Parts: sequence; structure tokens; C-alpha cells
Amino acid sequence: MSESPKSGNESGSDAVKALSNDLDANIKWLSGELGTEPDIVIRRFQVLRNKRAALVYISDISNDASINTLMMSMLDEGLKPVADEYEEEPLQALMLRSITVGAIRQLNSLDHVLLAILEGCSVILLDGFATVIAADTGGSEKRGVEEPSSQTVVRGPKEGFTESVRTNTALIRAKIKSADLRMEYKRIGKRTQTTVVVVYIRGIAEEKTIQEVNRRLDLIDTDSILESGYIEEFIQDKTFTPFPLFQNTERPDAVAAGLLEGQFAIIVDGTPFVLLAPVTFIKFFQSSEDYYQRYDIASFLRLIRLSSFLISMLLPSLYIAITTFHQEMLPTSLLISLAAQREGVPFPALIEAMLMELTFEILREAGVRMPRIIGSAISIVGALVLGQSAVQAGLVSAAMVIVVSFTAIASFVIPSVNMGSAARLIRFAMMFLAGTFGLFGIMAGLMIILAHMSGLRSFGVSYLTPLSPLVPGNLKDVFVRVPWWAMKKRPSMYGGEPTTRQGSGKQSAENQGNNSQEGKRDR
Amino acid sequence: MMERISLNQLGSMIVLFLIGSSPLFLLASEAGKDAWLSVFIGMLCGLALLWGVNLVLYRYEPDMHLFEIIMKYLGKPAGYLVSVCYVLYFCYKSIRNVREFGDLSLIYLLPQTPLAAVMLLICVTAGLSILGGVAVFFRMAEFTIPIVIVIYALLFLLMAGTGLLNLENIMPVLDEGIKPVWDAAFPETVSFPFGELVLFLMFWKYADNRNAVTAIAVKCYLISGLFITLTNLLIVAGMGKLAPVVSVPLMQLTSSIEAARVLERIDPLVALLLFTGVMFKLTSYYLGAVLGIRYLMKLSNKTAILLAGGIIFGGSFLFRNYMEHIWFGFRYNLKYHFPLFQIVFPIMLVMIVAFKNRLAAKEHAE
Repeated sequence: MSESPKSGNESGSDAVKALSNDLDANIKWLSGELGTEPDIVIRRFQVLRNKRAALVYISDISNDASINTLMMSMLDEGLKPVADEYEEEPLQALMLRSITVGAIRQLNSLDHVLLAILEGCSVILLDGFATVIAADTGGSEKRGVEEPSSQTVVRGPKEGFTESVRTNTALIRAKIKSADLRMEYKRIGKRTQTTVVVVYIRGIAEEKTIQEVNRRLDLIDTDSILESGYIEEFIQDKTFTPFPLFQNTERPDAVAAGLLEGQFAIIVDGTPFVLLAPVTFIKFFQSSEDYYQRYDIASFLRLIRLSSFLISMLLPSLYIAITTFHQEMLPTSLLISLAAQREGVPFPALIEAMLMELTFEILREAGVRMPRIIGSAISIVGALVLGQSAVQAGLVSAAMVIVVSFTAIASFVIPSVNMGSAARLIRFAMMFLAGTFGLFGIMAGLMIILAHMSGLRSFGVSYLTPLSPLVPGNLKDVFVRVPWWAMKKRPSMYGGEPTTRQGSGKQSAENQGNNSQEGKRDR
Repeated sequence: MMERISLNQLGSMIVLFLIGSSPLFLLASEAGKDAWLSVFIGMLCGLALLWGVNLVLYRYEPDMHLFEIIMKYLGKPAGYLVSVCYVLYFCYKSIRNVREFGDLSLIYLLPQTPLAAVMLLICVTAGLSILGGVAVFFRMAEFTIPIVIVIYALLFLLMAGTGLLNLENIMPVLDEGIKPVWDAAFPETVSFPFGELVLFLMFWKYADNRNAVTAIAVKCYLISGLFITLTNLLIVAGMGKLAPVVSVPLMQLTSSIEAARVLERIDPLVALLLFTGVMFKLTSYYLGAVLGIRYLMKLSNKTAILLAGGIIFGGSFLFRNYMEHIWFGFRYNLKYHFPLFQIVFPIMLVMIVAFKNRLAAKEHAE
């Protein structure tokens, strides 16, 4: 790994404290700062025959094997004869001859040394030098690369990001082997010093956007970043909106695809959820699988997802509006059976729907929060409160149970959880509007949402692109996904030049295949 | 940096605005079975107005909206007076649409809801739509227009497909000569809906591609003009002599659509479709008024929206009922008041602008 976290001015101290020449003074200062906890190791030894030196590291976050190798090689150095030219430059000698770790840095200030130790580096102090060598021996307990728990696919890569930023960048590098892939490291959070990486592809992502995200990230002044959600809320264009302005994903292939379309990614150490932006509304309905499956079924599923979003947002309110205000829209026989069902129900449709929707939301939250081991209890109890028993008890009508259940199922179709929650929140406002103003209320509500969405921007990209503003060239991947060979140009909506994805001319093997067959027949 | 709207957005808004509330009425009903011809003539007159007056003003002053032009060429007292009149005119047009919207909601959708509540929701929705400024509102139009067009097309196909149209109702053409057709066309159909494009003097300057504004404006004007003519034709063909009697003929016509036992009572949906047009129209006028108020009184966007919204909401109680509202509109406004703002005044303004510009050019040459 060539990228090592830059330790610039992030430590935040105004006056940079320099190291002293005296080894004992330096060690004294470090042990004063770090305390005398058992995981802090200060190991004194001698190198280059008679030079006093010390190795400082935190054992819990370091890799034992690499420290052992390092120690061994440096102790060996103490025994070997020293070439004369190295007498004057012992530090150079150490670096050139005996440090077995690849990534090393020379540090001058005490704060940086402290930070390096806290990151997991081993710091080699040499008596008589105000410069130390920090060798990256970091390595703490990590979870292996597993299948992501959200955004699962039937066909496609099964690997998911982990909590380690190094693993995550490695997964992306493994997908895009291009020198243009850029990763800019930052440290955010005064206490947590969390590593945050901005990833983009030079030449595809728009430069202005990258500058803007760097500017916004530098403006964050907080003591802790524990998850990418923190970053998201700090730098999104607009806070008061139910719609997500960042895409988050656990899938390296989704990030790679986003980068290749001109988005940038933000990886935050400590979470497998990577942010992608700029983002448009339609992006939340694209699953990675759309691009691995055949285009026809992918397009069909895309349409199913979009309609599910509408159903999830509007179905309960449509039911309320039609049964309360516009009964004439229903076929007579359906109307009679609905009326018969509702006869015993004590509440108006709005209250009935609100009750059922809230019940479902509670069930859903319970399902997420409770321990897995008692999971089966919720399905038994859930079927009672949201099913036939509720109808038999005379609390709700059977039609309402169906409406609420269908809405619930539809809300799970949306591939992105945060867009699903937008639909959930809007649903309640819509139900209220439908209960008071019927279809007209729903229309007014949709109008307000449209006005709101038209005004939304994610890093300068209008949320409804490519529908409004209309970008005809980008419509190939909105409602339908055209075959890969037909998507010659990269979508231009995330800024940057609409560069070419593949050569022009007939790319479809079908055409080539037919030609060669015809050729055979002629012969 | 000033907000910019693309040509596509401008065109969408022109179409939505012109369609607006016009399918609600049987335009030029005095012309009987030749009403569609009146509408067509009205469209041509409107085109002359758009081409010869409205866009000429734009070409003289592409960086200014109506109020800036008025203030520049008429000076402080006179210009201020005219500007205030225009603000009131925009508000009044918006009021009429709010009232139409509100009353029709009561008739077709919400018989038991108080009118004030419905109109309040309309005003709030309109206010929220323009809160984001001109560009956001025009983007909404761009998003909405494909949906509106597809639904209208389906609706017309259903009408034709279920055998509702009867060509005997419009034949023979020009049975009573051209006179009644012309009488019905001028000035009524010119001032509603075609002359209403005077409002777009407020919006031309936001266009991002100046050279193409004229072309796109005329193109979209023709599309919507032909659409309105077609609607009119369908109404007359479908309903015959009944058409002028019914309050909203198109709704009456759609309620007789029956197809496959599924699409039987789609009139609430059609009502929503019509309302989408009305909504965009009233919001455009609202926006025009807000831009005017902001310019004349140097108010912030939010204050101007609240002020204009207050005027529009309060003003929508001017009429005692829908019938009075329609009667007053068609009897007086269309004949005497609106042409003043749509025809007389813009022509005077364009003459003044042309004259002063020529004078300036001459002085410059000397």
C-alpha cells in the first residue's frame, strides 16, 4: 500500500512541539502522554554497535510478526560491523539496511509521533537525533471480507466492504486497475482521528466536484466520526429533506460502477458503508444486479422498483381517498364488498390506516432491534396484530390489512434503504392529506414533493436529472437499461466530459455472429 | 449568478401554461359547431401578437423582464402606475384560476369540504412551488409535461375508441358563414387563452439560449394552440348542442367513457389532469406577481410570496359563486379588461420601445 495517512496539520495544535536530541527526554515525554498502560511498549535496545535506541508501539493495535522481524533485524545490525560512511548517518543506515517494514516515515514533531503511535505505527527513536522513524506495523483484529448483509444480489460479486479502510480501498483497487484511480486521505474528528478517504477517477469525475467535497470535508469541525452517516449529515447540500443526497453501499462493485460513471466515493474507517455522490433520484432504483442480468429483465425490474416506490408512498393514501371521497371510482361490486367489510369498523379510514401503518412500523422496528434468537416470536405475534385476528376483532377491515401488507412489501423492493425510508415518511403526510382532501390532497402533496425535489441538488447536480433538466443522452439507464453495447457514452449528469465507454461501430456479437454465418452460407 | 432555464423547460412551461385551464371550458361557444374554427382563428391572432409584439419586446431588451422594461421606458410615476396595474392583473388572473380550481374541486371531488380550505391548500401548494425560484418551477414543468401529454393522448384515444365522437356534430363547416366565427374569436379567444402569453415577458430573460427563444416559443405555442383546437373539436363532436350547457364539457364527456368494465368512472382522474394544468397556470401568474412585487418594492423572496399569496387567497373570495365568477369573466373581463393588458398595452409599449431605440440609434449615428 503506497498510501499512508498524511499527517499534516490535522493534529490541531498551533505550536508544533519539536523532538529533542535526547532519547530519554523524548521517551519521558511519550510515556507521560501515553500513560503506563500495559499495552504500551517502550523497548530500549542498541543498534550500530553502541547507539542507544528505543522502539515505541502499542501492542494491541500492532502486528506482532512484523514487529518481531523488525526487532530481529535491528538487533542483528547491532552485531554487524558498520561501514564507515554510515558512522555519521546512523539514521540513514538504519533505514537503508535494517528496517524490514515497507512504509516508513520520518517525523520531527512530538504530536505527529504520538499520532503515529496511536495509529499503530512502531516508532524508532535514536539517541542524539531529533528525528524519528515511524514504521507502519499496524494491524489489529479485522473482520474478513464477507457477503454484504444489505443490497444482496442473485448474480454478481458476493464480497462486501468491511470496517477496515485498508481492506476497502484494496477491494476497490482490485476492481479498477487504473493509475487514474485517486485516493485522497484525510483525518477528521479531533478525538477519533478517523481516516476518511475520497476516491475518484481522475479524468472522469469532475474536478470542481472533487474540490468542493474536499472543501466541505475540511470544514468539518467535530470531535468524532464513527460512521459515514456523520460525514453525510455534515456535508450534504440540504438538511431538511426526506430524500437521501448520498448513496451508501456495502458493495465494492457498486462503488466501482459509480466511480466509472463520474461519482466520487467517501470511505470512512470503521464502517462498511461507503458513500457515493453526486447522486440523482433515479440512482436509488438502480441495483448493481441490473447490469449483470440481461437488459430486458433488468429493465422490467427497474420499472417494478419505480412502481413499488409509488405504491409504498401512495397506496394507503389512495385507499383512504377513494373509500372516503371518491367511492364512485370503484366498480359497484367491489364497493359493496368494501362497504360490507367496513360496516363493523369503528374508525374512519384515515384513523384505521394510521393505526395499521404505525403497527407495521413498530413491528418492523422490533424485527430489526430484537435479538435474532427470539426472532420467530415476532412473526407469530405480528401475524396476529396485522392479520386475520385484527379483522376478526373488528378493529380493521380485511381490505385495509391487504393494503398495509402490500405497502410494506412494496417498500422492501426499493434497493436503497434510505430511499425506502423517504417513502415511509412521506406516506404518513400523504395519508393525512388524503384523509382531509381526497385525491386533490394527494395531488397537492405530489406537487409539493415535486417542487421540493426540483430544488434539491447533490453536489451541484439536480436531483431529477436526467428527467428535469432533461438530458436525452442519459435516458438509456433510467426507466429501462439498454444493452451494454448501446451505452457508448458515459452519463454526463455527474459532471465531467461524457467520455466514451466503448468503441463505436457494431459492438453486438449478434451482428457480428450473423454476418459470419451469412458468410458461411454463401460459401 | 442569475437562475437559468433551458429551452426545453421554457417550452414545457409554455405548453402547460397555455393548456392550463382551457380544456375546462368550451371556448367560443357562441360559434356553435364551428367553435373550433374560432379557436383556430384566435390562435392565429395570438400568434401574431406573440410574434409581432411579445417577442419583439424581448429582442429589444433580452435582459429585462416586463417591469424593468416598463420602468426603463416610462419613467418613475407612469411606469410605477402601469407596473402596479400589471401586478394586480397577474394577481387577478391567479385569483380566477384559484377560484376555478376551488369551485371545480367542490363540484367534482370534494362536495363537503369548505371552499376556503381547498383554496388555502391551493395557495400553499403554489407558494411552495415557487419558493425555490424561477428555475425550480420551470424544472417542475419539464418533469410534468410528459405525464400530462401521455394521459391526454390516452384520454383522447379512449374517447375516439369508445365511439363517443360523432362527426355529424361539427358538419357542415361554416354553416352560418364566417361572421359568427370571427365574432366569437375576437377578442375572446385571443385574450383567453392565447393572449395570456404576455406573462412570459417576465420569464424570457431567464432563458439560457437567447437565439433560440423565438423559435421554441412559436413552436410550443403552435403545439398547444393545435391541442386546444383539437380539444374544442372533440368536445363539440362528442357533445353537440349539449356542450355549451354543461359546466365542464370535457368532464361530462369523459364520464361517458366505458371500456372493458375497468375504465368506467375515471372522471376524478381527469379532474386531477385538468387541475394540473390549472395549477401550473395559477402558479405562473403567482410567480409573475411575486417577481413584480419583488422588483417594485424591493422585498425578499419569502415576503413577496407571502404578500402575493395573501392577495390571491383573499381575492379568491371576490365572487359569490362559480356562476358569477364565470359570467363576470366571460362577459366583462375577456371583452374589456384583459385585452387592455394583453393587446393594447403591449402594443403601445413596443411602439414606445421601438421609437426610443430608433431615436437613440439616430443620435448615436449623428
